[in-house]
Amino acid sequence: MGADTVLKAENIKKLIGNYEILKGINFSIKRGEFVSIVGASGSGKSTLLYILGLLDTPTEGKIFLENKEVDFSQEKKLAALRNRKFGFIFQFHYLISEFTALENVMIPMLKAGVDSKRAKEKAEYLLERLGLKDKILRKPYQLSGGEQQRVAIARAIANDPILLLADEPTGNLDSVNTQKVMEIFQELNSEGTTIVMVTHERELTRMTHRVVEIKDGEIVEETTLV
Amino acid sequence: MKGNFFISLRLFFERRRQSIIATLGVVIGTAAFIVMSSMVNGFQKYFLEEALNINGHVKIFVGSTFREDRILRKVYKEGIFFVLGAKPKSVKNRISNYSEILNRYARDENVLGITLHLIGNGVISYGVKEKPVTFVGIFPELENKTLRISKYLVKNNLAQLKRNKEAVILGIKLAEELGIKDIGKKVVLVLPNGTLHRLKVVDLLNTGITEIDKSRVYLHIKKLQDILGKPNEVNEVILKLKSADLAPFYAKRLTKETGYRAESWQESFKNFLSIFKIQKIITRSVVFAILLVSGFGIFNIIMMTVLEKKRDIAILKAMGYEKRDIILIFSLQGIIIGVFGGLVGNILSYGILEWLETIKIEVEGIVRAEGFILDRSISYHLQGFIFAVLVSFFASFYPAYRASRFHPVEVFRSGS
Repeated sequence: MGADTVLKAENIKKLIGNYEILKGINFSIKRGEFVSIVGASGSGKSTLLYILGLLDTPTEGKIFLENKEVDFSQEKKLAALRNRKFGFIFQFHYLISEFTALENVMIPMLKAGVDSKRAKEKAEYLLERLGLKDKILRKPYQLSGGEQQRVAIARAIANDPILLLADEPTGNLDSVNTQKVMEIFQELNSEGTTIVMVTHERELTRMTHRVVEIKDGEIVEETTLV
Repeated sequence: MKGNFFISLRLFFERRRQSIIATLGVVIGTAAFIVMSSMVNGFQKYFLEEALNINGHVKIFVGSTFREDRILRKVYKEGIFFVLGAKPKSVKNRISNYSEILNRYARDENVLGITLHLIGNGVISYGVKEKPVTFVGIFPELENKTLRISKYLVKNNLAQLKRNKEAVILGIKLAEELGIKDIGKKVVLVLPNGTLHRLKVVDLLNTGITEIDKSRVYLHIKKLQDILGKPNEVNEVILKLKSADLAPFYAKRLTKETGYRAESWQESFKNFLSIFKIQKIITRSVVFAILLVSGFGIFNIIMMTVLEKKRDIAILKAMGYEKRDIILIFSLQGIIIGVFGGLVGNILSYGILEWLETIKIEVEGIVRAEGFILDRSISYHLQGFIFAVLVSFFASFYPAYRASRFHPVEVFRSGS
């Protein structure tokens, strides 16, 4: 395993009931890569992403994060890893409706033990960077879909994760906002953030370095674009 | 922890309607607890305080101290015996060694005072009205030193008992029933042997305890000894102790050491204490029911919040929040509701108690008062606050625990 490998999945299998969703996936992500995972609905791409993000447990197989095997039996450690090492973006923004954009971005930082003043400053900086300077005190329902997703991106990168995991991040957006989100991803990637994006929109994969295609729980094709 | 408190506090203030409803339940429960405790205990404390002031803590009197089965027990030691048809033993109704008791116990560090009584029965008449009464012959100075009798005298004429041999003090309710409205009236004391004695009412006793004020008649002990033909006789010794709680111990000891029967106030007021106990149980049950209802209110509201916020809980978990954090966030909601409800309930109950104190109504039952008798102890406020926080915490704990069990992937997949 190379020193520049951020994450490695080794023979990952996932069974739900008798149904095998993932059938022995071997997959690794290098530091600074922008990988897209594509596949039809039900192919297992989201399941793989959840396992890579330590949100779900594989039935079989191992995950290595920065060359260290992840122990899925230690919930406390998994939570700490999710907080410090990963950033998640979903198709729906999942912002807490009672909180302002600023507060939503502050939440992962407060969990990481960042001082609330420092967390506020950083949240302001991130929102400003994503073009939401004048909307930091707005509640999610006062923002457009694209703005909501940008707040979710700011929240995902708040703790400077080593890996950004995005599950259909543009699935709910129009073409203009999709373009904006993809530009943000590219910018973040160019600054060194490793990104794994699950999508069913083939054209978006052109903006990534590598495309991994999954079919019936198996990787059927890997294409390096850059 | 900082993040948990921040989220919890924000949820409490942002979900205003639910928070207000939940807090209102706690406010009502807390206020009800404090007001009811204050009223019930106020009445009970007042009764006991006044009754003990006038009756003392331990009473030594001539009573049967022997057991009918004493001979059988000497022979067989253990067993269940029933002695049927035992004849009551004739005993002289006097305490012969009262001066010895007086000298011995007056030096006891736990005894505040001792007073001597001669008790007699008869009928008191005023005009055509007659009432059966119990006369209490007292040494006025000794009585006042031991018990606070002058505190309850309408005209503060206790010294008249010593100066005027015909003087008598009547309970105010007894005087009312006889038709006596003021002092100076002449009453006739009729003894069981048929002799009549004319006495002058020099004062009225107003303890506020109906039972005492309806039956108590005080005379100078020398006068009563004289008219009963019992010179220098005493048939009741009253002890006032440093602490009311010492009474059962002293009663036991005095029974053993004096050869007479000694009764603690707890035994004398057994019936009242039982009523008070039942009263307390009823009050506590009502308050418990109120708090339980408010607890269910909190439970429902937090459960609803948890179900509504499934997605938020899932994303919090994805962001690294642990089960423990989720439990804390929602339990803190309960605690915040409890703290707010407890504080507002305390303020509300303070206002209610202040208002109740201004109300003037004639209350007549076991005690008489011109309004509510309230015990304004701070401990009820503290207890109310602690109960509020505990009930709210327990009510929120299960929903919080449920929230912590949500699996983020299941929530994301279900799209809920």
